[in-house]
Amino acid sequence: MNFTGTILLVDDEPHIRKYVGLILRQLGAPRILEAGNGEEALATFEREKPDLVLLDVNMPIMDGMETLKRLKAIDPDCVVVMLTSLTNRQNVESALTLGAANYIRKDTPKEEITKALTETIDACFDSE
Amino acid sequence: MDFTLTTPPIPLSGRKILVVDDDRLNLRIIGGILRSEGYQLAEGDSGERALEIYETFKPDLVLLDVMMPGIDGFETCRRLIKIHGAGCAPVIFITAKNESDDVVEGLGAGGVDYLPKPFKPKEVLARIRSHLQNRALVEQQKLLVHQLSEANAQKNKVLGMAAHDLRNPLASIRGLTEFLRDGAVGPLNADQTDLVETIHSASQSMLELVNELLDVAVIEAGELKLHLESEDLAGLIGKSVAVTNMEAAKKKTRVNFAPSGVVPKRQLDSAKMRQVIDNLLSNAIKYSPPGSTINVTLSADPAAATCTFAVQDQGPGIPEGERDRLFKDFSRLSAQPTGGEKSTGLGLAICRKIVDAHHGTIVAENLPGGGCEFRVVLPASA
Repeated sequence: MNFTGTILLVDDEPHIRKYVGLILRQLGAPRILEAGNGEEALATFEREKPDLVLLDVNMPIMDGMETLKRLKAIDPDCVVVMLTSLTNRQNVESALTLGAANYIRKDTPKEEITKALTETIDACFDSE
Repeated sequence: MDFTLTTPPIPLSGRKILVVDDDRLNLRIIGGILRSEGYQLAEGDSGERALEIYETFKPDLVLLDVMMPGIDGFETCRRLIKIHGAGCAPVIFITAKNESDDVVEGLGAGGVDYLPKPFKPKEVLARIRSHLQNRALVEQQKLLVHQLSEANAQKNKVLGMAAHDLRNPLASIRGLTEFLRDGAVGPLNADQTDLVETIHSASQSMLELVNELLDVAVIEAGELKLHLESEDLAGLIGKSVAVTNMEAAKKKTRVNFAPSGVVPKRQLDSAKMRQVIDNLLSNAIKYSPPGSTINVTLSADPAAATCTFAVQDQGPGIPEGERDRLFKDFSRLSAQPTGGEKSTGLGLAICRKIVDAHHGTIVAENLPGGGCEFRVVLPASA
C-alpha cells in the first residue's frame, strides 16, 4: 500500500486529527490537509481538490451529513469516508446512500482503521 | 436535576367513602359517624345506584350493605371489581347477614373485610382507617416506583452522555500510545517503553469500562436493537479467536477453535454477537492461569435447528452459591483475574442481554476436570 494522493481530514477534535493523521501517514506519503468543521472542509476542498476526504459526522457549524451533501454537489465523484464514533446505523446508512464510499469507527484499534482505509483506497484508486 | 424521592405523608381525613344501604336510618347513622371523622361521603340506596355513583365520585373505599332490593351487595362488589380491576377501591361489607358462609362468600366476591350489624362505631372506624391506610400505602409505592424508574432513566442518560464523550478521547490516547510504543515516531528506551505500555494498558481498560457502561445505558434504556443479517457464526468466532490469541499470547495462553461439521449461516446481529464472543474469550483468558489452553467449540443440531458455541477455560470454576449472580449487572464473583486484569462486572450481564435479544440462552457450568464452560445456544429463528 502506497498512497501518495492528497487527503482532507475533517474532525472537530484535534486529538482525532492527530491520531488518524498518524495512521494516514503510515499508508504511504500522502499530503494531509485538516479542517475542524464542515465549512472549513468545503473551502479547503474547493481550493485543494483532495483525492480523499475523511469526514466526521458530529461537528459544530456544519455537520458531516450536510458537508457530505455539499461535497457531492460540488464533485459527484469525490471519495468520502465517514468517521463515526458509534455505529449509528441510521447515520451510516444515510451517508452511504448519499454517496459516501465507506465508514470507519474512530474508537476501533488502529489496525482496524488502517484496514478499512486500505480497502477503500484499493477499491477507489485502482491504478495508484 | 433533582433525584430526591418524595414520600408524602398519608392524611386520611378528606378521603372519599361511598356508603351503600337501602335503609335510610342506617345511612344517616353511618354517615354521621364518618363525617365527624372528616371523610367525604356519597350515599347510595341500592347496588345499581352504587355502581353509578362510583363512576363520578371515585371513592377510596366502599362500605356496602349486602341485603338490598335489586342486585345484592356481593354482586355489586363483583361488578365493581370486574369494571375497575386491581385499581378498585377496597369494599367492606356491613351487614346483618352474619353466617360464616356469608362471610366467606363476601370475601370471595372480593371484599376486603366484613362487619356485622349491629355495628360498633369504633370498630367500623378502626377497620376503615386500616384499609384506607393500606390503599394509601399502595398508591405511595406506585408513586415511588414511578419516581425510581424516572430517576433510573435520568441516570442512564447521564451515564450514556458521559461514556459517549469519554470514548473518543480515550480511543485517541490509546491509539497515539500505540504509535509511540511501536516506535513509529522514533525508538524508545526500556524505561520509556515501560511508561508508554502503562499508559496504553490503562487507557485500554478505561475504554473497555466506558464501552460497557455505554452498553448498559443503552440496554437499560430499552434501546438494544438488533440488526439481523445472515451471518456465518464460524467466521465470526474465527475472527474473534484470531484477535484474542494476540492478547492471550502475553499470558502464554492459547485459544483453540474447532468447529464441528458445517454450521449453516443464520440471522444474527454480527457486531453484538461478536461482543458476546469477545467477552467470553477475554473472560476465559482473564480467569485461567498463564499457560492455559482455552477451547472453543461450535456445533449445529439440525434436528432442533439450534446451534451451540461454548468456551471452556482452565480457571477456578464458579463457586457454588455464586452462580445466580453471574449474569447480573455489576456482580463480580470471588474469582480474581490471574494477570491483574480489570473487570467491571458488566460483561456477562451484557452478554446475557444480547443473547436474550437473539432468543437464545447462555449458561455456565463447572467442568468435571476443573475450569468451566460458558455455553450459548441460539435457536432456529435467531
